[in-house]
Amino acid sequence: MNNHLISMTVFFPLLGAILQAVLPTPRSRWAALAASVCASICAIVLVATMQANNAELQAIESFPWVGSYAISYEMGIDGLNALLVILIAILFPVLISSEWDQKTGARGMHGLFLILQTALFGAVLAQDLFLQFFFWGLSALPFYFLVGIWGGEGREKAAFRSVVAASLGDALMFAALILIYYSVEPHSFAIKDLGGGKLAGKMFDFLGHPVSVSTAAFALMSAGLSLRAPVWPVHGWFTEIAQEAPPSVVVALAAGSVPVATYIFVRVCYLLFPMALGDATQLIVGVGIINLIMGGLCAASQRGLRRLLAFLCLSEVGIVLMGIGSLSPTGLVGAVYQQLILGLGLAGFGLFAGIISERTGHSIFLNTKGERTFGGIATTAPLISVFAGIVVASLIGFPGFAGFVGHALVIIGSYSIHPVTVMIAGGALLLASYYLFAMYRGIFLGKPAEGFESFQDLTFREKAYLSPVVLGLLFFGLYPKPLIELIRPTVLTLLSTVK
Amino acid sequence: MKEFFLILPEICLTLTLAFIVAGEITYSGERVRLIGATALLGLSGAFIQTVISYEYGPAQVFGGVLSIDGFSLFFKLIFMILGIIAILSVSQSKEIAPGRRTEYFALILASTLAMSLVASAADMVLAFLSLLFMNVISYFLAAYGQRSVRSTEAAVKYLAFGAVANALLLYAFAILFASTHTLNIYEIHKALILAPLSPHVMLVVFILCFLSLSFQMGTFPMYILVPDVLEGAPTPVSAFLSVGPRAAGFAFATRLLIIVFAQPSSVPGHWQVLGEVNWTEIVSVVSGLTMLIGSLLAFRQKGAKRLVSELVVAESGFLLMGLLVLDEVGIAALLYNLVVQLFALTGIFYVLAFLFDELKSDHLSAMQGMFRRAVPECICLVIFLLCLVGSPPMPGFIGKFTLIGAAIRHQRLALAMVAIVSMVLSTASVARMSYHLIGHFREASSSPVAESTWRKMLLASLIIPMALVGVFANFVLSWAGQSLGFIFW
Repeated sequence: MNNHLISMTVFFPLLGAILQAVLPTPRSRWAALAASVCASICAIVLVATMQANNAELQAIESFPWVGSYAISYEMGIDGLNALLVILIAILFPVLISSEWDQKTGARGMHGLFLILQTALFGAVLAQDLFLQFFFWGLSALPFYFLVGIWGGEGREKAAFRSVVAASLGDALMFAALILIYYSVEPHSFAIKDLGGGKLAGKMFDFLGHPVSVSTAAFALMSAGLSLRAPVWPVHGWFTEIAQEAPPSVVVALAAGSVPVATYIFVRVCYLLFPMALGDATQLIVGVGIINLIMGGLCAASQRGLRRLLAFLCLSEVGIVLMGIGSLSPTGLVGAVYQQLILGLGLAGFGLFAGIISERTGHSIFLNTKGERTFGGIATTAPLISVFAGIVVASLIGFPGFAGFVGHALVIIGSYSIHPVTVMIAGGALLLASYYLFAMYRGIFLGKPAEGFESFQDLTFREKAYLSPVVLGLLFFGLYPKPLIELIRPTVLTLLSTVK
Repeated sequence: MKEFFLILPEICLTLTLAFIVAGEITYSGERVRLIGATALLGLSGAFIQTVISYEYGPAQVFGGVLSIDGFSLFFKLIFMILGIIAILSVSQSKEIAPGRRTEYFALILASTLAMSLVASAADMVLAFLSLLFMNVISYFLAAYGQRSVRSTEAAVKYLAFGAVANALLLYAFAILFASTHTLNIYEIHKALILAPLSPHVMLVVFILCFLSLSFQMGTFPMYILVPDVLEGAPTPVSAFLSVGPRAAGFAFATRLLIIVFAQPSSVPGHWQVLGEVNWTEIVSVVSGLTMLIGSLLAFRQKGAKRLVSELVVAESGFLLMGLLVLDEVGIAALLYNLVVQLFALTGIFYVLAFLFDELKSDHLSAMQGMFRRAVPECICLVIFLLCLVGSPPMPGFIGKFTLIGAAIRHQRLALAMVAIVSMVLSTASVARMSYHLIGHFREASSSPVAESTWRKMLLASLIIPMALVGVFANFVLSWAGQSLGFIFW
């Protein structure tokens, strides 16, 4: 079956981005939203028409692109990337509507979001390393402009740091790519040609020492990706963006780009370097735990919503890494599932934080003396309080919400590594419940702070764009079965190659 | 008669040049002048003629003095396109005043003619003369901003370096002629295979040649003047000089190194070093040094033109990487990158010329907030810059990949690592420059620059072909590869 659904998903937003250049302002917004929604509909149809219990790639599209270098346009969907397709499909129409009333350069902002949507869809669906890297590299550029133009006071510095981190990360990945490409005969970038232990035992000479290709490429790839997803200790650029960028851009980064980075890590490392991955599981879990703890501790000491979001993202990435490193079916399913949930959860968090700072002009919920600056929003604006409550409950992993499923699966799976990891993870999650509830109480409950009286509740537009996120969190928490069924066959096949 | 047909593009250029000079001499104050249109017509005619020349197949004409093969046709097409862009891009320039454009057009046409000759020269005397012709025209072009001290200084420096470089080349040619008694490089190749020179002599000849070529290509150790010239010359001229003479230098270097200093190896599509002097190691060190120096210096620059010029130096180092591996894949990668740079560099300098006209300065700090005043131009500038340094989604990235891949295929891992490092450094400099363009844009108080449809069309006509070079990379790469297949015919 080849209905070009994948290509439509990937290139509809790009079409919308081109339209932004020619249409006048009021009409351009509708074009942007329409293009994004069309792509999302294609994406949802794509996932809905997937065959159940099939671990293979589906809806494959493949034709040669640069034939002389064996680079092909190869796209496909399976259990690993289906959930991210859903995530991106939900995320971008929401982001575009959240910036509906953008005053300065709305066309540019919408256009950049659309390019980002194309890039992320492409990076998720590509099954050729070069193509994947191509889209992944493309996804770094819009952030530079989004932060540099629409950011806060220190936007230039934040944008500069992010682009340097991204280009360094991309260069490392590029080195890994070239290494892989030239170590197999015939040279190839197709993931299906490179998998199955093709790289095992391949060596190359580096300054007179033989080095294993898969170890070197694995190290380069992990280092490259860790500069694109926030991983302690190289997360400085991320917290800076979270501080300076507009909320919608932070959401696009934390909920869009970060899960895609972890996905690429799973896809490439599990398929290409099963041996190197098997040797490095302790390290991956270790990094995950450090992320979880450092993220949690730093988040607990924050007084502003923006940095809180950044460190929350750090600890969520830690959980995903623990699942990836657990090498157990439950843990990996949990990690893949958690990629979707952390995206939705952080999107919800970022959006309500954005609404609060838009209404009040800041996002600091405790002043330097430890006194609350908001408070009591629930009485005047019940709807946003309920929405925020659902998001926070899901981020904590409250039973019945989506976060619970992901967290539980990862923690159960990580028991196979060492019981201590479960205790550490449990402790970190308890810490998360403490600081998130403290934040929630400080903003929404209790008495309003002095000088802070009324808070307008959600408008129709805000309700419209928050609902998909919140409904997703509720639905995927109450009924995760279809999605888990979708992931499971692929994950089991992947793990069988590692063991 | 066939020989006549084969050099029709050059004849066409010469006639156009003559028309323009005659038109300028007989000018007596008419209001309608068609100098620009004539030049464009001549270049387009030459372009079409070159495309038609593919029909005739490769040939050596005029007793082997000129070699009209796929390789020279490839470069000729690049030069004609460059000439057309150079003429179109000055139509609104303030640096090249309308009253003095005739000279500019004449110089561009003469330079295009010279570069076409360099690309197809197969005889040492003709090669030397056409290189000299090209350089002399370049000195004039660099000195075109007469009133500017920098422009004059650039031209004088260019002249001094050029004199030395050409003298070195002449020495090398003299040694080659003395030992082989022929001037045709293909004949020299045969003679050297029969009776090789002693390694010492070969080393001296190579070093003399390469020093001279490094002046033409803008690589270490003669890279020093490149930033001076490109910064000092009027910006539209910088665009022309950064692509044209450099590409011609690479064309001649490829032909000379492959034919005189290398021989076909047993593997088809590969060459090996002729004689005992392994000069590829020297070129490899030069390539690495050029890349590093260029990208490191670019990081420290405060002027936009100078920053881009240092990036151009780094790019020359990258291009050498495709040459030193001595196989068709590597040289095809070199040609592909030249096509990408043709659009990227002319685009960069076009926008810089526009900014210079607006701001009267190319200092990075003067450009702060320009993004607010000229949105499409600044976005295009950033895209061109990213393409030049090979940032992932751009066609330049495919180019860098092919070049670095060529180095890795030949086990030059250290060189490939240097290349990746300097790619990151170059990206960082580009980020710095974009940061200056975009930064503080909210505080910029000046009003937006007047929109111009012409400017937008010209930018589009540079960006669209550049994107197409990336999308149809396969076609361009195979075209470049085929061009090389002819080099020996």
